[in-house]
Parts: sequence; C-alpha cells; structure tokens
Amino acid sequence: MIETGIPKLDDYLNGGVPIGKTLVYYAYPGVEGTVFGMQSLCHSISNGMSGVYVASSTEPHRIREQFSEFGWDTDEYGDRFAIIDAFSGLIGADSHERYVVADPEDTRSLTQCVKNAMEDLREPGVIVFESLSTIMDLCGESETLDAIEEWNQYAMLYDHAMIYNFTAWPYSDDTLLSIKEDVCDSTIFVGGIAGNVIFGQYFGVLKANWTDAVRKCVLFKVLKPGGVRAYIPKILVTGPFDAGKSTFVHALSTRAVSVDRLGTTIALDHGHVDHKGFAADIFGTPGQARFDPIIKLISGEAMGVFLVLDSTRAEDFARGRQMLEITRSFGLPVVIVANKQDCDGALTPEDILGQLDMPETIPVMPAVATTGEGVFEAFETLIDMVMEVG
Amino acid sequence: MTYKLGISRLDELIGDIKSGTNIMMIGPPISGKDDIANIIAYQGLLDANAAVIVSTREPGNNVLEWFERYNLDIPMDRIGIVDCVTRTLGFGAPDTDNIKMASSPVDLTGIGVKISQFFEHFWMEMHLRETRLCINSLSTILMYSNLQTVFRFLHVFTGRIKAANALGIYVIEEGMHDEKTIVTLKQLFDGMIEIRESEEGYQIRAVGFTPKPTPWFDYEIDGANIVLRG
Ligand SMILES: Nc1nc2c(ncn2[C@@H]2O[C@H](COP(=O)(O)OP(=O)(O)OP(=O)(O)O)[C@@H](O)[C@H]2O)c(=O)[nH]1
Ligand SMILES: [Mg+2]
Repeated sequence: MIETGIPKLDDYLNGGVPIGKTLVYYAYPGVEGTVFGMQSLCHSISNGMSGVYVASSTEPHRIREQFSEFGWDTDEYGDRFAIIDAFSGLIGADSHERYVVADPEDTRSLTQCVKNAMEDLREPGVIVFESLSTIMDLCGESETLDAIEEWNQYAMLYDHAMIYNFTAWPYSDDTLLSIKEDVCDSTIFVGGIAGNVIFGQYFGVLKANWTDAVRKCVLFKVLKPGGVRAYIPKILVTGPFDAGKSTFVHALSTRAVSVDRLGTTIALDHGHVDHKGFAADIFGTPGQARFDPIIKLISGEAMGVFLVLDSTRAEDFARGRQMLEITRSFGLPVVIVANKQDCDGALTPEDILGQLDMPETIPVMPAVATTGEGVFEAFETLIDMVMEVG
Repeated sequence: MTYKLGISRLDELIGDIKSGTNIMMIGPPISGKDDIANIIAYQGLLDANAAVIVSTREPGNNVLEWFERYNLDIPMDRIGIVDCVTRTLGFGAPDTDNIKMASSPVDLTGIGVKISQFFEHFWMEMHLRETRLCINSLSTILMYSNLQTVFRFLHVFTGRIKAANALGIYVIEEGMHDEKTIVTLKQLFDGMIEIRESEEGYQIRAVGFTPKPTPWFDYEIDGANIVLRG
C-alpha cells in the first residue's frame, strides 16, 4: 500500500493506493492541484520508498525549489528521488537529469523514459506526473490516453503505483470522461467553491475500485511550508467569563490575536491552528454577559465548538450551557474543555458532565490551557467529529 | 459596475464598458502596447479597482518600476502581478504580496492558480468588487503552447472574468501569428482595441463596443498618458 499523505484521504481510500494501482488528482483549473502529487511523492519517499517525478511544465531545478518551498528537501532523498525531464527538450535547454525525454511532444519518447525509470526503480515505487494536461497539450488527447494505458500496465508489471496530476481544462467531453472514470483505478476530485471568484478549495474521492471509498468532501488549504491541510474555516471557542478561552485559543495557535481590555476579552480572539495535517481558524468569544450581542455576531457559520469551562466553578456551568444557546451551537459538534485541571478543587470531566444538563455523548476533555496540556487532544477530538459530519 | 479604459477619446465614444467584458488588444511591435496596457491598469487603480497583471515578457519588478518611473502613487494593496519570467531566468525569487511567480509561460496550470489566488484575495479579503486582469502578452504564451491549449486556457479565464464582473485585457502582437490563430481567439472576446502603423506613427481605435468601430486616432504616449489627436 502506498499512502497518499493527504490528510483524511488515506482513511477514505482504506489505507492508500495498493501497489500496481493508479490514481489521478483531477483538478479544476485555478485550484492548487499540483501540490497533491508532490505531497504524495514526498510522503512515500519519507516512508522509505523510491519515487520518480515526471516534469512536463517546469524546469527540474525549479521543481526541486518548489519541493523545498513546501519543506520537502529532495537532496535528502538521495537516489530514491529522480526526475524524468520532459521539459528541457521543449525549450532546447540542456538537462542533467537521469532521465531526459528527447522529444516531449511525442508520447513514445516519454514512454521509453517511463519504462527505463520503472525498471531501475526499486519496487514498490511511485511515479508521479507533474501535469498530465501539459503532456496532453503537447502530444494530443488520444495519444496521451493511449500512453496512460501503457504506463499503467507497466506499473502493474513492475509493482509500482502511478499518481497523476491533471488539470481539467475544457478538453473534449470524451477525454475528460475517460480521465475521470476510465483510465485510473481511482479519481480524486480537487475542486473549487466557485461564486464570483473561487473562494474555497476541496477534494473528495470520485472513484476507487479497490474499496468502498468514503464519499466525503474535505475543504483544504495549502501551506508553505507544509502542503495540503484539511481546513476548517471556523471553530468557535466559547464559555463563561474567565474560563480560559483566550488562553486556550493561544495555546492551540501558531499565530493568534486577542482584542482584550484589562485582561478580559471585549471583542474576540482569533488564531490559526496547524496540527497533524489539519488547519483551522478558531474564534474565541468574550464571556461576560454584557457582550452577548457581540457573541451572537461572531458565532455564525461555525463548523464546531469548544465550550471552555473553569473546572473549579460549577456555579458557572449553567452560563456555559446558556452560551451554547446564544451561539446557536446545538446540533454542531461540541467538545467541552474541562479547563484549569491544575487548580485545587477542579472537578473531573465525569463530574462535570454529570452536573451539566447535556447529552452523555458529548466529550469532556481535561485541559490546562496555561501549559497547553490536553488542548491538542481536545482539538483532535473535535476535528474527528467535524470531519465525521462533513 | 462599469469600467473606463483611461484612453480619453475612446472612452467618450464607447461609453462605459460593462463588467465582465473581455478585450483583445492587438497591434504591431513597438507601438507602445505595454504602456497602453499599463495605462489601462493604472486607470483601474485610480478608479479604486484591483489590478492583476500577468507579465510574460518582463520580470514582475519591471512592471512595478514602470509605475514608479512616472511617479504614480499606486496603492500596493490593490495590485497583483503574475510573473512568468523571473523563474525562467534562473532566479529563485520567492513570492511577495504583490508578485507571485509562475514557473514559465508553459505553466498555464500555475498561471491559472496565481490569477485565481489574486482574485480570491481581492474579492474575499479586500472586498473589492472591480478587478482588471491584463495578460501581457498572449503572444508569448502562444510561442510555448499550441493554439488549442491557449484557447482552452482563455475559455476558462474569460469565463472567470464574467463571473467576477471584472475586465479582461489580452495583448497580442500583430504579425506573429497566422490568421487562423487570430480568428480563433477573437471568438472569445467582446471587443478589440486595434493599433496600426500610419505614416505619422501609430493609430488606435476600439471595435465591438458600438455598432461601428470608432475612427482611427493618432496617438502619442507621454509617460503614463496616452494622448489622442484628430
Ligand atoms: N491555573 C490555571 N489558570 C488558567 C488556566 N487557563 C487560564 N487560566 C487563567 O485564567 C485567567 C483567565 O484566562 P483567559 O484566557 O483570559 O479567560 P477568558 O475565558 O478568555 O476570559 P474572558 O475573555 O474575560 O471571558 C487568566 O489569568 C489565565 O492565566 C489553567 O488551565 N490553569
Ligand atoms: Mg478572553
């Protein structure tokens, strides 16, 4: 099995791409699709496998730079990483790569290189195509479709996995349909949420013939360094006055700002989280009742909620429950953060759940926001719930 | 939501340009098309639009320098450049707020991503509802890719211009392409700015905005101004 290294995707594909199978990232023009193939390649190589990148629209030297911008150092991979240079020939430049395609406008020339690389590659290996669409543009649609079939057969023969990036420019309907449904064992759609502009990106499994793939869409963001991150645009952090909401937001975030006065939040906290393949924007509300109108205002469109409680102050729990109502959080995934576990008289999570008039299924996670203890466990729990619903 | 070119006599004759309009600008070499393209972008900045310039012949920095050279006080937070040149010269320059690097003019996928990112930024974060996209020039892109490929790319992006209520300007070198190329691409555009050589110098007119083309005007480029005569 070859993992894709794309968050959630390996779960959805039942572990990844089996050896000898093929996958295409089918991307909507304008959406960041190329990084998917790059990330899958680097993930496999860091797992000890060998990989080849077929460069068709970028100079090899630039390709290495692109990898390093994401934090993937191809020098470190040594001879487990190679490039098939199907670009330099196009602009008449010299190439020092191990595999050089003499005529990038001829699929036969490319096939020869792919075959050579596959023979050399220690199995199981992974071959990733930077851009199938560029090859199609240069060599023709039907020629490329035929070539893909040939490459896929070699992959099966040599026990390698094939991964293609493809940008779905308006080719003929037949071509688009073939790529989407026929030529590969699996198709991952990489799309954009389009209004007046593309304002969000998502991916999902369209097809995978080795498993009952999970058909869910995941919003994503591309971080540099980092790569593809499953993205949750809004997570709310609410709770009574002084419970530790702002501290909690800062403990989770790589960057955060708070609008506070005299130690209490008067507008909101905002932070970016980047943790284990997941990125999220989190918003903390004030706690004091006099800010209830503001709390209402900032709580719309959240995808999940943390209710932060001071575990020593049972008298505030009712207020906490009330805040879930104010933020209209019922029905959304909620995780209760039993904060200030380091303080004397802190109630245990079980006790807290017992005192709250709320469903038993709601997770209550112990935490000490000031030291960061437990905050990421709470984050992971909520993310799981959000992705389950999504 | 309408646009002005910033070319006074033409603007008077053709009136306001509807949002979602895609315009091809075609003319001979050294007729000042780069300047005119920048002047149209600059008019956008004056009108509180955002401007996205795809530069295929000059590094992005040179484009910014054009504005500096004429002491134009441009709002840096509303200008975005997709630089298709710097990387091909072998410089590993990183993206900045104003300049995003594409690998090369062949990398239409990458160019498309960068354009989309600027559009998203201006619309979602800056809440700007009027954006101009200027691709200077399609001729370079056509040198590296075939007509069909460029047609597909433009098919997508002229559509995005419509969806975003933006204005698109696409520069083409006259004489570099065969008739079929020009005819094929023309289908994608709502209007044209044509430039031709005359005895005195160069002339300009607008076609497709009014029932008849505007008359030809002699023009001179004076810094960041274009002055039409006649
Ligand atoms: N001992 C201990 N103190 C904590 C913990 N979390 C927060 N605090 C402290 O509790 C106080 C309030 O923390 P904040 O994060 O400002 O609380 P808040 O919920 O944002 O408060 P408001 O915005 O005013 O409603 C601060 O003095 C924190 O240092 C914790 O886990 N343990
Ligand atoms: Mg606070």
